[in-house]
Amino acid sequence: MELGGPRCAGLVLLLLLISCGQGRGADPINIWPMPKSVTSGKQTLLLSNDFVLNTQGSKYPDSSGILKDGFSRFLQVLRASHVADSNSSYSSAHFPVCKGLHVVILSPNDKLQYGVDESYKLSVTALGAVYAYLEANTVYGALHGLQTFSQLCHFNFKARVFEVRQAPWTIIDQPRFSYRGLLIDTSRHYQPLIMIKNVIDSMAYTKLNVLHWHIVDTQSFPLEIPSYPKLYAQTRGINVLAEIDVPGHTQSWGIGYPSLWPSTDCQQPLDVSNELTFKVIDGILSDFSKVFNYNFVHLGGDEVNTNLCWLGSHYELLKKKGLNESEAYQYFVLRSQEIALSHGYDIVNWEETFNNFGSKLSRKTVVHNWIGSGVAERVVAAGLRCIVSNQDKWYLHYLDTTWQEFYMNEPLTNITNPKQQELVIGGEVCMWGEYIDGSDIEQTIWPRAAAAAERLWTPYDKLAKDPRRVTGRLAHFRCLLNERGVPAAPLNGPGRVAPEEPGSCYKQ
Amino acid sequence: MLLPLSLLTLSLSSLFLFTFSRPLSQGFSNSTINLDDSLVYLWPLPSHFTFGDDTLSVDPDLSLSLAGVGGNSPILTEAFQRYLKIIFKHNSRVSGDNLRGGLIYDIGELKITVNSDDETLQLGVDEGYSLSIARTDGYSVIGKAQIEANSVYGALRGLETFSQLCYFNYESKTVEVYKAPWYIRDEPRFAYRGLLLDTSRHYLPIDVIKQIIDSMSFAKLNVLHWHIIDEESFPLEVPMYPNLWNGAYTKLERYTVGDAHDIVNYAKLRGINVMAEVDVPGHAESWGHGYPDLWPSSSCREPLDVSKNFTFDVVSGILTEMRKIFPFELFHLGGDEVNTDCWSSTPHVEQWLQDQNMTTKDAYQYFVLRAQEIAISKNWTPVNWEETFNTFSSNLNPLTVVHNWWGPGVCPKAVAKGFRCIYSNQGVWYLDHLDVPWEDVYNAEPIEGINDISKQELVLGGEVCMWGETADASDIQQTIWPRAAAAAERLWSRKEATAAINHTLVTLPRLQYFRCLLARRGVPAAPVTNRYARNPPRGAGSCYEQ
Repeated sequence: MELGGPRCAGLVLLLLLISCGQGRGADPINIWPMPKSVTSGKQTLLLSNDFVLNTQGSKYPDSSGILKDGFSRFLQVLRASHVADSNSSYSSAHFPVCKGLHVVILSPNDKLQYGVDESYKLSVTALGAVYAYLEANTVYGALHGLQTFSQLCHFNFKARVFEVRQAPWTIIDQPRFSYRGLLIDTSRHYQPLIMIKNVIDSMAYTKLNVLHWHIVDTQSFPLEIPSYPKLYAQTRGINVLAEIDVPGHTQSWGIGYPSLWPSTDCQQPLDVSNELTFKVIDGILSDFSKVFNYNFVHLGGDEVNTNLCWLGSHYELLKKKGLNESEAYQYFVLRSQEIALSHGYDIVNWEETFNNFGSKLSRKTVVHNWIGSGVAERVVAAGLRCIVSNQDKWYLHYLDTTWQEFYMNEPLTNITNPKQQELVIGGEVCMWGEYIDGSDIEQTIWPRAAAAAERLWTPYDKLAKDPRRVTGRLAHFRCLLNERGVPAAPLNGPGRVAPEEPGSCYKQ
Repeated sequence: MLLPLSLLTLSLSSLFLFTFSRPLSQGFSNSTINLDDSLVYLWPLPSHFTFGDDTLSVDPDLSLSLAGVGGNSPILTEAFQRYLKIIFKHNSRVSGDNLRGGLIYDIGELKITVNSDDETLQLGVDEGYSLSIARTDGYSVIGKAQIEANSVYGALRGLETFSQLCYFNYESKTVEVYKAPWYIRDEPRFAYRGLLLDTSRHYLPIDVIKQIIDSMSFAKLNVLHWHIIDEESFPLEVPMYPNLWNGAYTKLERYTVGDAHDIVNYAKLRGINVMAEVDVPGHAESWGHGYPDLWPSSSCREPLDVSKNFTFDVVSGILTEMRKIFPFELFHLGGDEVNTDCWSSTPHVEQWLQDQNMTTKDAYQYFVLRAQEIAISKNWTPVNWEETFNTFSSNLNPLTVVHNWWGPGVCPKAVAKGFRCIYSNQGVWYLDHLDVPWEDVYNAEPIEGINDISKQELVLGGEVCMWGETADASDIQQTIWPRAAAAAERLWSRKEATAAINHTLVTLPRLQYFRCLLARRGVPAAPVTNRYARNPPRGAGSCYEQ
């Protein structure tokens, strides 16, 4: 075939594109998680090669560069997927061109906190030589808008530039729950800083907003006070919920301070009878409060086996205080809560504390469900707040829990009273680390955590009642993660499964 | 100035028994396990080195000074920036401000001297370097690390070694070099140290290929064998035959010419060649989605139709386009697993065979030799899988590099006939065989069975192969690493250094250390001692013990 000049070839391609666009039914909308409200059209516009950020009229000064850096990351993510042709003469002649993104942020404040306004509005008109428009109350809403916008941009293999199809777009979006968490566990296996950063980046892609950092446990105590990941997370709109799991999961504490062990035979729970124990907790939380400024600190409190040790070692002391062992457990938890409150924190505790002495817990407690379903309804009936992480659906190390089950797990199950519904602040998927290190953490998390992320972000009415309806869209998102260098596993099969055979990412 | 060899008397046995007044473990004191101080945690092991018992601090504002006619290369300055990020990733200045008071760091400068300004990257490029890290000698105020190399690519290898000697001290919050002074003189044992990636069975996104290229540079591998196309999919753009990539899985799973250039350039900046492969005539079904005439018939879709000139026009067109992208002198033409049965059952091909007076085996040879001619006419050296040698060795072009894969004993036969050879014995160096433990990978020997030194030199090196049937972006890195590193040391380090050692006591902890180094750099390398590759850790524990 004789090739015509570029103009002529371009015209042919243009006709092809138009006929493709009209030949099919409505294109699917591949955004994950699905926004609250979306309308789209059928036109294509190309992104200018010098696509710019315009903040005219924005009230947010961006002195810390959160928006600017977010925009750079947006460009980087696009450019990492394919090489655009900076000399493409093809573009402006045939398609409207989007020159940049105009971002207007209404609040100058960038304090990241529980309940921060994460809403945004995004519109991409189909008229040429204009800016896409993103409006948000806070910079964190704007970051979510940028993530959504990045999912609208695709490489055009003919024009060799990036394009937005299905324009005009109008998207109005806000999260259903304010707490959308992922737990990582750096005690069972040390996670290198770069892995934690990778996880944070991919959380931002799926609009999760709390990294619950289970820093120390029985096995190791790797923490100095690591401010760096916190700063990294904050610039991506992600809060860090730090946990010290007392008094049960603490054996590693005593390697530095052996007197925290009731005895050398009894290395956990922490010594309830020793004032040093509470001094150390106070010291840690004091350090925490300088670094981790999220509303909440997680004090653990799960799986406390008091029978093993406390009795033998400190029977006399406990008796003197008039405490039996379960009372000593309660005493420990409540005293730790007091310490946390004195440092300005609200407290999160695992559900055993509620199950054992719920009425005694500080009213500022958020109960973190994990053992099973049905806990949240009891917690909110008691007037306390709750985070849902029932292990049968949202524990990622259970590889046989499928993404469909992650998707269908509803935090408000059996909670109908709107006042009580509000007490469920959200949910969290948990990546416990016994069998997880830097080599397999990401594929164990993704794509199943993304399924839960949509449950936590998207309005209930827009969630699929049958997960099969979102398979294609989630597969698309999984391939997008791969394209961005995140090793999200195939959808077919259990968690972290290897692809069974050759095939397209979009079908596996 | 290259380091005098007298400083570098190699005495491996004594090196491993060294004892130190200042234990290395101070660098790991946050850990409850102790690493064996007597081992040298460099991977792959350099060919000559000596060290002492001093500890040197490295300035977080480490400066770079460049010398020699090749010192002005942007390849070096870019690499230096990359390694600064690796060496100072704990961001010591954020938490370690003023900790050292007004003290001067022991190492304030890295001086790199490159003696040639030729930046051509080719097989056999000089990758040697010398590296010294020593306290100030009285002539200068600041201590230095110095790298000297004949080519910029040797300097890159030296930078990698330097980075592996830098440890973060969690207590002082500074980066330190232990066991200084170091004097290293190093060069690879084999010129060809490859890793095969297969983007046909699963498309690998560009970002993932780049991550793998980065990790290859950490292990000093230097050839990315890009098995781009196979029967399952054809992801690459070929402008002369634009319908070929209709054979891609989806429109989203394709590489443009620009993408391929980007990958080649990214690899070059890390001293890594890209050898492209077009596997003909057997593994080529995907070609026919764009050009069905390449299929002998709709029921016989491979091997490619040997009877049509169009087939060779397309081969020639692909190679013409690829020649613009891939400057490496080797080009892989495949030639493996050719089942010619359906040639003889396709009437027009059978007729052609009769007209040419050829058997199907003759036609296979005819196809391979004709493809070789095309490659050679484009100034490429053809590489072919061993079946071509096994089937018609006497007719193969003498330029051919034979790529072993079936089993041991092939390279000895190939070099005996004067061919060059690449070793990839599937029993040990096929990474998709998950049941091959690291020791077997490590103990594989490319020149096994070749005693004549002049014949040994015909073994260019070896390659570990990451076939993609069950490896996609989600699991490829942990399937490659750490076992590819075991092969990398075999291919880089002196034979004497990698043999006759108690591997459990010496090699295993070093490889475990390197695996954790990969993890620190963001490479998800799997645990070393698992029974099956790519499996999760077997329980809680330290990276250095798993």
